[in-house]
Amino acid sequence: MIFFLAATALLIQGQPDLEAPSDFAPRVVAALSQEIVEIRSDFAGADIILFGAVTGLEDTDDLVIVVRGPQTDLRVMRKERTFGIWINRAPVRFADVPSYYSVASTRPLGDVGTFSSLRRAGIGLEHLRLSAPDSERTEVRLGVEVTVSDVGDEIIEYRDAISRNRRRDALFAETASGVQMLEGGLFRATVALPPATPVGNYTADVYLFRDGRAVASGSVALEVHKAGMERLIYEFAHQHGWLYGLVAVALALLFGWGAAAIFNRR
Amino acid sequence: MQIYLPIAEISVNIFLLLGLGLGVGFLSGMFGVGGGFLMTPLLFFIGIPPAVAVSTEANQIVASSASGALAHWRRRSLDIKMGLLLLLGGTAGSIAGVQLFAFLRSLGQIDLIISLSYVSFLGVVGGLMFIESVGAIRRRGREKTATQPVSKRRKRRLIDRLPFKTRFPSSGLYLSVIPPIIIGFFVGVLAAIMGVGGGFIMVPAMIYILRMPTSVVVGTSLFQILFVTALTTFLQATQNHTVDLVLALLLMVGGVIGAQLGARAGRKIKAEELRIALALMVLIVCTKLGWDLVATPNDLFAILPMQEGGH
Repeated sequence: MIFFLAATALLIQGQPDLEAPSDFAPRVVAALSQEIVEIRSDFAGADIILFGAVTGLEDTDDLVIVVRGPQTDLRVMRKERTFGIWINRAPVRFADVPSYYSVASTRPLGDVGTFSSLRRAGIGLEHLRLSAPDSERTEVRLGVEVTVSDVGDEIIEYRDAISRNRRRDALFAETASGVQMLEGGLFRATVALPPATPVGNYTADVYLFRDGRAVASGSVALEVHKAGMERLIYEFAHQHGWLYGLVAVALALLFGWGAAAIFNRR
Repeated sequence: MQIYLPIAEISVNIFLLLGLGLGVGFLSGMFGVGGGFLMTPLLFFIGIPPAVAVSTEANQIVASSASGALAHWRRRSLDIKMGLLLLLGGTAGSIAGVQLFAFLRSLGQIDLIISLSYVSFLGVVGGLMFIESVGAIRRRGREKTATQPVSKRRKRRLIDRLPFKTRFPSSGLYLSVIPPIIIGFFVGVLAAIMGVGGGFIMVPAMIYILRMPTSVVVGTSLFQILFVTALTTFLQATQNHTVDLVLALLLMVGGVIGAQLGARAGRKIKAEELRIALALMVLIVCTKLGWDLVATPNDLFAILPMQEGGH
């Protein structure tokens, strides 16, 4: 399975003609310096190089790289002061929030793409789709389908809170000059995985922007998993919980008894 | 040097963990307390998820209480009958506590409840201990002139009217079985929710409520703590998968060495001064946790994972 992933992940060609009809379509090819990141006991984050080439690159073109981690559901709660104490209130469930999300580009995103093209592809922290399905419904207003939130305008604060929280742990990031253009349509960027990087399957998408729109893209897969001792312990704890518990207790008893025996002899 | 903890899923400095174990172990050896009430909040402060901190700390307390319990067992300075009754209540309490923990976690209120429990218990215990030891030091000054009148006669209290009375030969008591079971249950719940052994609740309860002789109090309390924390570790590991073996082992290494050193240092200091110092320490931890509850947080939003299927 891992071998298969690695093989297919290595080079995936871009799909030409995303939006712009062009006489000859540019193509993006990308690869990673490492397709599998192993979390071992000494894991303290990792830097991975994403590199590739663009055919048919023009001088005014821009590149944007988006790395998305595995999606999870989150609960965001607002703290409110009750009897002088701050208590978590008003939970809102957000579905399919990427646990890791980083954007690197050649120039600031606002200069690279139009609002609608960035929004459509979910590029950039302010365009990242964060949906709270339980508190949302679609309504037809003035003949247009719009999403209305039960939480009202506050939903924006909730979204901002997710992004702020993740940026603090470097799990969300946006770097306006993160992509380096080299000669001959080659490019490279560093994907920084912080110590808190969650395990799972990641995708790195490379978008080629021309005149404010994405005209080509390519994507590479990345896998983060626990390895060695960390993996053994984690799997043991989750698959044989009761045995793990017994081992934990036995080790503690041995430790306490052993320490007493050693120190009493002196 | 950083080490990645497989269950807590964060990377922590290994020397920080060893140092914490050593420091808290030293204090617990010096003061003769379990140290869980200090270690668990410290683990929160360095970023260990509360669920993992509480469960793992229970595991560490197994190690730190094992040697003490063994020593008392050899000297027979414990009331086994009382210990078994406390344990009976403790077992039920621990089971209930682990369920309550999981329930509160699903509500997103576990951090609040843990903090509130700490603030209230540490505040009461620390405050009482402080007042009591200051009083003891004052009395020491006056002892030469006047002796305290000690009333030997015990009033008949509510506790003496309860049914199911039985004899506790080691403690020299004739008492209902209900109070020990209730105290045990209460401490079992605390062990599961707060990640403490509960000695700081149980020892005063044994002395002031059950009126056990002090000679068997510490041994009996350690006996109960050992079994209840062992059970809590097992239940948390089975049900919530929140015991981090790597973290536990690092804390144990520092803890057992620190406890031995602390015990040696403690013999050189007078008991009352030691108690005042412990009371102050308890009050400092209490104040810090209490302040965090009322101070305006940096971020008014909390991001919590959804709980389906464990971690």
